[in-house]
Amino acid sequence: MNKPKLELVSLCKEYDNGSVIAVEDIDLRVEAGETVALLGSSGCGKSTTLNMIVGLESPTSGDIQIDGKSVVSVPPGRRNVGLVFQDYAVFTSMTVRKNLAFGLEVRGKYVLEINRAVEEVAELLGMSDKLEARARDLGGSELQRVAIGRTLVTKPSILLLDEPLSNLETSARLAMRRELRRLQSEIGLTIIYVTHDQVEALSLADRIAVMNAGRILQVEKASTICAMPGHTFVAGFLGSPPMNLIRGKFEARGGEVFFRRGDFSLALGAGATVPEGYFTLGMRAESIRLASGADARFTGRVSLLEPRGSEAVLTVDVGRETLKVVVPPHARLAVGEVVGLAVDRESLHFFDGDNNRATSLELAGRIF
Amino acid sequence: MNDTAVNRQNPALCVDGVCKRFRTTKALDEVSFIVPEASLTVVLGSAGAGKTTMLRLIAGLDKPDAGRIELAGSNVAGWEPKDRNVAMIFDNLALYPDKTGFGNIASPLVIRGESREVVEERVGEMARTLQITHIMQRLPKTMSGGERQRVALGRALIRTPSLFLLDEPLSSLDAKLRIDLRAELRRMQRDHGYTFLLATPDFHEAMAIADTIVMLREGRVVQIDTPQTMYDQPADREVAEFIGAPRINLVAASHEPATASLCFARARVDFPAHLGRLSEALPTQFELGIRPEHLRLADPDSAPVRAELVDVESLGPRSVLTVRNEAAELRLLVDSLDTVSLSLNSPVGVELAHAHRLLAFDPATGRRIGHGL
Repeated sequence: MNKPKLELVSLCKEYDNGSVIAVEDIDLRVEAGETVALLGSSGCGKSTTLNMIVGLESPTSGDIQIDGKSVVSVPPGRRNVGLVFQDYAVFTSMTVRKNLAFGLEVRGKYVLEINRAVEEVAELLGMSDKLEARARDLGGSELQRVAIGRTLVTKPSILLLDEPLSNLETSARLAMRRELRRLQSEIGLTIIYVTHDQVEALSLADRIAVMNAGRILQVEKASTICAMPGHTFVAGFLGSPPMNLIRGKFEARGGEVFFRRGDFSLALGAGATVPEGYFTLGMRAESIRLASGADARFTGRVSLLEPRGSEAVLTVDVGRETLKVVVPPHARLAVGEVVGLAVDRESLHFFDGDNNRATSLELAGRIF
Repeated sequence: MNDTAVNRQNPALCVDGVCKRFRTTKALDEVSFIVPEASLTVVLGSAGAGKTTMLRLIAGLDKPDAGRIELAGSNVAGWEPKDRNVAMIFDNLALYPDKTGFGNIASPLVIRGESREVVEERVGEMARTLQITHIMQRLPKTMSGGERQRVALGRALIRTPSLFLLDEPLSSLDAKLRIDLRAELRRMQRDHGYTFLLATPDFHEAMAIADTIVMLREGRVVQIDTPQTMYDQPADREVAEFIGAPRINLVAASHEPATASLCFARARVDFPAHLGRLSEALPTQFELGIRPEHLRLADPDSAPVRAELVDVESLGPRSVLTVRNEAAELRLLVDSLDTVSLSLNSPVGVELAHAHRLLAFDPATGRRIGHGL
């Protein structure tokens, strides 16, 4: 079996003699040519993880392997990984060519070799005609390209990107995202990408590792993670709006099974037995729809209406629960209005009440 | 006449023909708009559009060169900032470094001499709303940027001025918190009947929370409308491009009256009735605006547009496809499940899903044809 490009094994990072745990027991395998996003809010440990891979910080315990070899004791400059920060760190007084050549010059490479490498990278980034331009005359997305190019000329075996797009304006960001996807497919680089922005992670990564409080909660393909969240945190983090989560219990009443929390109650079909204890019900905002009359499974009052142009997001108070519902853009609704809602049983998710992990249940004669 | 009727006649804020010049640059040029009481109005524009300048003039931190600013019916020219009864919240936040989170939020109440019980209750409520109860006893230097921002918001919102001016109040927060907090801001504004004027470059934010959007570009008001109207009926090409993601498709199009067809991207379809009604205003050649959600995939053999798939960008449940042919490049917003069977560089068919939502722009001026009719 091939060795993974990068493997993190039980990686931990503590500060202040263990009173602060920044990264706790992380395991991650990244295959060659893969792009993996570390996604989480600020303070979740994603940047610390990246810094340990680069070698800017050393782990408290655990191992980091590149091509099957431990690099924990290898100094940063020898690990052959390239890091691009959100602040471009481009020398603005130098030309693009100088900037791109910098990393090779300090490594004492031959001029001919440097020129060839610089021109190759410039070609790849579509900047061949900008090589003699001064960096200070470039726009944000061009600067970011130079920053990435500076790293690429050194032919790193892994490219690490720390929120590389967060300083760019929206349109430049869209262009850069497309650019990065093209680079990935053209040169098959292995990329680890740190971001707090789920759209960036979803649009760029093959797989996403969702982090919270120093731990990786789920690693899943970007194409399926929204549909199959494995943990309540992931369900509540991904999606815009994220999945509606209600913690409650199952109940069998009069031959029918319900999921209930306070005055919120959802009928799940005929049945007599239910599992004990707490569970969390997950409903995607896109799976709930407006319904009237007998079709409505529950009713609620609209407390917020947020148009998005192509759709609108309703916040509906159902008893003491607050649900987000995605509706068509021209649904004529007002705040304060009472609406009926329906949800398909096939679209429901359940999570264990103790460990918050996704769980599959046999209830009312079907598998949820 | 009851109080509400009086309030309707005197909006919380009325800006009339305001101009402001900084040396040679015109920062604001004949800006006029009103902010009704208990509403949330958003000033939307990119960096340099004049948003902050506008807010500073209203707060009294700068003087307009021309025009009039009325707060609750009174012309406030020459009034000191402290006499205007407005609260301004900037994106760069200055907290008292030697006061805790609690002390910072409480300070406006303490200065006013509120009782200890009132202060504790109101600050506690504010801290819960802003999700910062855990940092109430900490000093600013031990807080993250986002936490400091929320304390600053709390300190500003604990007051009860007649008008809140918020200058990009959520810009330094991370994506998830920003979305939660803007909903909270909106709820607070509505529950307490506050009047908010909020400046932002983020159209998502503007769409989600505004009653009315004032679109500012290079110091001029380009359009004033509700969010959905601005999306559906933008004043011009630039507004159409500024509002909406993925960005609207703009393609060269022509009207063939003889066959009643619309031609674009090498496609020929029935001419939409709503554009037909513009007959006289509509030139034969124009620019067609198609929102990405108004296009869908179709059988390549029979679809009006035949193109090659050049990019797939997943946004989670939905994906953006970019397709290209000799005449145009188009973006489509589709269900991610529909992209599974597609492969890059293969032929795809595209058809219109909502032809009645197509927009027509004057290719020379960029104005939407029919705007204001």
